[in-house]
Amino acid sequence: MNAKAQKAKGCGIEPAYYDAVTQAIRSEAVKVLKEGAVSAVIGYLPGRRKSAAVPAVVTTEEEAGRLIFSPACVNNLSLYLTKAKKGILPGGKIGIVAKGCDLRALAGLMGESQIKRDDLFIIGINCAGVQGAVAAGNGQLTEASIAKKCRECTAHTPEGVDFVAGTLPHLDGLTPLEAEELARIEAMPQAERWAYWKEQFSRCIRCMACRQVCPFCYCEQCLCDKNRPQAVESSPRPAGNTAWHIVRAMHLAGRCAGCAECERSCPMDIPLNLLNRRMAQELKELYDYEASMAPQEKGPLNQYKEDDDQSFIK
Amino acid sequence: MHAEQVKHDFEPKVVAFVCTWCTYAGADLAGTSRMQYPPNVRVLKFPCTGRIDPVFILRAFQKGADGVLVSGCHPGDCHYMAGNFHARRRFAAFRALLDFVGVDLNRLQFSWVSAAEGGKWVEVVTELTERVRGMGPMKEFKELELEEQWSASLSTPELKAAYDSIT
Ligand code: SF4
Ligand code: SF4
Ligand code: SF4
Repeated sequence: MNAKAQKAKGCGIEPAYYDAVTQAIRSEAVKVLKEGAVSAVIGYLPGRRKSAAVPAVVTTEEEAGRLIFSPACVNNLSLYLTKAKKGILPGGKIGIVAKGCDLRALAGLMGESQIKRDDLFIIGINCAGVQGAVAAGNGQLTEASIAKKCRECTAHTPEGVDFVAGTLPHLDGLTPLEAEELARIEAMPQAERWAYWKEQFSRCIRCMACRQVCPFCYCEQCLCDKNRPQAVESSPRPAGNTAWHIVRAMHLAGRCAGCAECERSCPMDIPLNLLNRRMAQELKELYDYEASMAPQEKGPLNQYKEDDDQSFIK
Repeated sequence: MHAEQVKHDFEPKVVAFVCTWCTYAGADLAGTSRMQYPPNVRVLKFPCTGRIDPVFILRAFQKGADGVLVSGCHPGDCHYMAGNFHARRRFAAFRALLDFVGVDLNRLQFSWVSAAEGGKWVEVVTELTERVRGMGPMKEFKELELEEQWSASLSTPELKAAYDSIT
């Protein structure tokens, strides 16, 4: 596909949309910093390479005037509010730029008493989508470069925020690639599923990027780092890898916000979000729980009902 | 008086994670009542089913278990009020995850056995042992344990050539 055809087959999202969101974020961030309503704003600044973006904590009006929103603003910034990143923020109320999926993470962190709503000024984005791992050369979003999570996003419009940036353009319906892949794996015979995941997990190099990037992996001592007694082998061998992936999926079950940051940051292209989504699907079916943009007091695995299903127990 | 000993080609290893208040006492009752049940089961005692982390089950499979049993107090009878209710949800989710990853759930049994149910303990353990015996050894996790495989196989001709050029 040449560049022109790609543009024609784009997602119907004009660069002007991103410019409008950028302007809205800038003026609001400058305003709240000027008023002294917040001591810092977590957002995105232009990266060093063309059409790149980097997460940043800005504390001055000048810096805030350089904030951007573009298809390269992939990071889930709620990570910077967690215990795992303590010490990087000044005290006081913090402003944060959040896409819909990031908002679900913020809500989850509030539900787990990691952050307080009153300590935040949330700039929500009417989000049309961001790019996946492979960016298009010109920095524009095309059907080939849009992130998989954005293809079937249910959180385009932010809820419960202090300021909404931008207006949502018309979005073309895209094929839900991830849901199709999930269905394909579920339809496999059991031995084939094992073989599939065995191959996937065997590639893992245990760099722990998926853990470091996850807003919910904020434990100060991860079970998987413990070695007395050791629960999960820490070297990148098949046995430990499989255990790590099962433990990770289990620890995030009922908490995961579906931001797909783990999968994006994985250098070995392991489809981690399929595991997350499978667990989310199960908890929806069993306990009617879904990650949402509104904080929920308890996750599905922190509560129970006396009549929960127990057909699998003798 | 001993029951007739039958010789089998394959004796499965079954690991049972049980809570101390109900199932452990139930198994004890089976013992003191001189009931017979397969000696294949290794019992590990925990304060509560709520303390039984899914990672223990993985570890058991990795270290050679062919079947795993998790058993505790009936709902409502938990010594700590709600441990087994929480465990019930956690294990429901865990089963779904194992299934998705491709583990045969017939090797993993959950049960409620109270301190008075020596008979049920015998029944549960016998059924699981015989089922697992029929299935043969659990190879999947043991294979992983034995494999030294570094970041995937030589799946492309380029990788293979690069590997072969190392002398
Ligand atoms: S994998 Fe589990 S123990 Fe480790 S940091 Fe994440 S949630 Fe915590
Ligand atoms: S597990 Fe992955 S998708 Fe879920 S919240 Fe963590 S980083 Fe996001
Ligand atoms: S980011 Fe990928 S390679 Fe690194 S530990 Fe996670 S799954 Fe393994």
